[in-house]
Amino acid sequence: MKKRLYGGMRLSTITVMAIGISAAASVIICMLIFNAVFNRGLRQDAATSSQQAVTQTAVEVENYLDDLKKRLTNISDEIYRSVSVEDAKKSISVAARFENDINAIVVYDADGRILMYGGGDGEIKKEPCENLSFDKEIFDAAEDFAVMPPHVQTLFKEQYPWVVTIARRVYRPALGGEVYEAMDFEFSHIANYIDSVGIANQGYCYIADSDGKIIYHPQQQMIFSGIKSENTEELLKSGEGVHFEKNVIRTVKPLSGSSWSVVGVSNISDLVSGRMKKVFAGILYAFVFCVAAAAAAIQLYSQIVTKPVKRLVSAMQTFEKEADSFSYRPEPEKVRELKILSATFSHMVGMIQELMEKVRREEIVLRKTELKALQAQINPHFLYNTLDSIQWMCERGKTDDAVKMVGALAKLFRISISRGHELISIEDELKHAESYLVIQSFRYKNQFTYKFSVDKSVEDCLCNKITVQPLIENAIYHGIDRMVDEGSIDITVRAGENDDIFIDVKDNGIGMTEEQCRNILQKERSDSGGIGVKNVNDRIKMYFGEEYGLSIESEPDEGTKVTLHLPQIRKEPENEA
Amino acid sequence: MKRKFFAAAAAMLLLPMLSSCMKGMPEEKKKIAVITKSTTSTFWHNVEKGVNAAATEHNIDVTFEGPESEEDYITQNMMIRRAAENGADAIVLSAIDYKKSADAVSKAHDSGIKIVIMDSAVDSTKINAVVGTDNSDAGKTAAMAAVSSFKDDEKKYIGIVNIDKNSYNVRRREQGFREYIQAVPNAEIVDTVNVSSNTGSATTGAVTMLRNHPEINIIVGFNEWTTLGVGYAVRQMELSGKVRAIGFDTNVVSIAMLETGEMDALVVQNPFSMGYIGVESAAKLISGKSTSENIVTETRVITKDNMFDESSQKLLFPFE
Repeated sequence: MKKRLYGGMRLSTITVMAIGISAAASVIICMLIFNAVFNRGLRQDAATSSQQAVTQTAVEVENYLDDLKKRLTNISDEIYRSVSVEDAKKSISVAARFENDINAIVVYDADGRILMYGGGDGEIKKEPCENLSFDKEIFDAAEDFAVMPPHVQTLFKEQYPWVVTIARRVYRPALGGEVYEAMDFEFSHIANYIDSVGIANQGYCYIADSDGKIIYHPQQQMIFSGIKSENTEELLKSGEGVHFEKNVIRTVKPLSGSSWSVVGVSNISDLVSGRMKKVFAGILYAFVFCVAAAAAAIQLYSQIVTKPVKRLVSAMQTFEKEADSFSYRPEPEKVRELKILSATFSHMVGMIQELMEKVRREEIVLRKTELKALQAQINPHFLYNTLDSIQWMCERGKTDDAVKMVGALAKLFRISISRGHELISIEDELKHAESYLVIQSFRYKNQFTYKFSVDKSVEDCLCNKITVQPLIENAIYHGIDRMVDEGSIDITVRAGENDDIFIDVKDNGIGMTEEQCRNILQKERSDSGGIGVKNVNDRIKMYFGEEYGLSIESEPDEGTKVTLHLPQIRKEPENEA
Repeated sequence: MKRKFFAAAAAMLLLPMLSSCMKGMPEEKKKIAVITKSTTSTFWHNVEKGVNAAATEHNIDVTFEGPESEEDYITQNMMIRRAAENGADAIVLSAIDYKKSADAVSKAHDSGIKIVIMDSAVDSTKINAVVGTDNSDAGKTAAMAAVSSFKDDEKKYIGIVNIDKNSYNVRRREQGFREYIQAVPNAEIVDTVNVSSNTGSATTGAVTMLRNHPEINIIVGFNEWTTLGVGYAVRQMELSGKVRAIGFDTNVVSIAMLETGEMDALVVQNPFSMGYIGVESAAKLISGKSTSENIVTETRVITKDNMFDESSQKLLFPFE
């Protein structure tokens, strides 16, 4: 990653956040809607199914009780029809044995003494200490058939089965008047049915009597042991129908023709959580899919949008830093806008670079023109002085000197114009310098001597015109002019080691301080005449490069040595203008 | 960028896995081994019912086993080891021998199995929960029932019939009994016989004791078998009404003896609850839920007078 030069969020981050938030929001909305709609529906469904199961169970139990009553009536009829007590005993014994849900059939006299009995496993007790199957009060209170709550049967030795007693009072003169015919039936039949009733997940049914006492419960023993309890009493008070509690639906259905009620219990939390689990699974699936899809989308997005944008951004940053050397090649983008952006940028880069190049070129041309304009200037004082000198010579009849002087002036002008060429051969440049020295030596009679020592092998190399003359001019005006003794100017041209040339202009004048040396290369010439040292230096650098140019070594009272450093470039037939 | 791509790839891979999970891999049922002192007595039958009810309720695989003899701690220890080997998640144990099963229990506990002690303890601290009767208290209850029909100035000669010394629960009951009797005026424990835990041995022991000590007017048995032995001895020697017979636990025979007066009082535990709560506690422990460390199940004194009360009926006569 590039260092973050600019603030703000990345495109990819924003995209991820947008997708994540929208996915989460839609999931939550889904769940809320689902919860509202589905939960109510679920409760309704549960209530309906509970009601159906309970109704069916009630019908079944009612039928069973009716059936028991019918059987008791049949047995009663048989007793009635029996010719003798023995016969009656035999018939109830047979009846009790054949009905496998009947534990015992007993006929009691009005005081509860056993007149006859059938069934039972084992020996009847001689004097049962307490017969739980006989309750005169209940028997007498019943209009028709009395049904006793569940109890342990205590009629037979070492047998204590749980039974329900159904009994009725009849008049049997043969047995001594009013008797009670009772039938102890076991739970097996009801149990089989109730146990098999399932309401939804963990729903179940049980039977309770009107006091809330449990007649039969699928988990009877847990009720007995006190591990489980049912709050039936209050429930029965609220009557028939479906009762919603927080997580439980209870359905009450009283049985017709008995004090019993069937109660259905179903646990909606199980039901709901069961289905919720499935739905949650679905939602989770959807969510995961969403996120995966989002991730894929982001991947794709980054592939076709973010990456190119980043690339473009980094390209722009690079361009900003190094505009000159930058090159941009537009990638084949997939997105139209990016394609346009990329192409435009590429075009822009081209244009900017072209403009920059143009500006630079123009600047160089401008500068050259400027320098040329300067170099074209000839110090008018020099010209006037020279012409004065010539006039003076002519008046005195020093024709030879005048001719020499005019010749040197002509040469000087010819070379300084050089048909407008900037670069001339060193040979010509030296001639120009010599012409200047010839003129000056007339004017500064016996004040200085000069000497050329030239490496002939580099004489035909090129150099900027009017480079040596300004140095000589400086040497005369600033170095020798103020001297008392005779000065000397040595001009040396030598070839360097690396295909370069050094031209030294050395005087023995008053010299300069280091500061003066430095200033001289930076300042334009203040007086209007002639070409300054800086101009010479600038021109050499502009034409040959930064590594070439002018250097000054000077020592006050010792003299100054100015060195021009140039490359060895030979003259070609058509050189630069 | 790369990371996002991997995340996407991972999500794609996870998708089918998740969906297969959702289709409901059959959840591995937890296994609980219930190891008892025996499986033949009414008491243990009722425990088994409770165990099965809890297993159904909590959707657990249970095994219910115990040695044939209530003294066979070797077999019981083997059963503990085997349960551990078979990958039981919890063991619900009623230890035959307080000392000699401690090692097996500790080892099982060390291998990560939850230990719930039901009814009778072992000498180990590596136990997660205890469920059962407060035996000392039950012994006290028995003592109270034993002397309740006597006046303070009446002499009370007591004979004790108990089983092997190493069984924790019956020991505690006897201790509780003795502690209470010490404070009762004119009460004396005349003789104590230790018998094998079966009806025959107990009957012989009781009869011998009653012959040797004709002054005995209270005789106590501390578990189902010794109780029957006491009852049969009273029946054989026709001492019904003359000797007050007190026992523990119920079965149809002892209940019938209560009805006929050969037994006078029975201290009845709630074996169904014990079994149920034992397994329930173990189930909770397995699933990391908290459960109380000591759950006391109720006991009740049943006499001829209250035996057919509605609540007694429910306790005495299990629903088949």
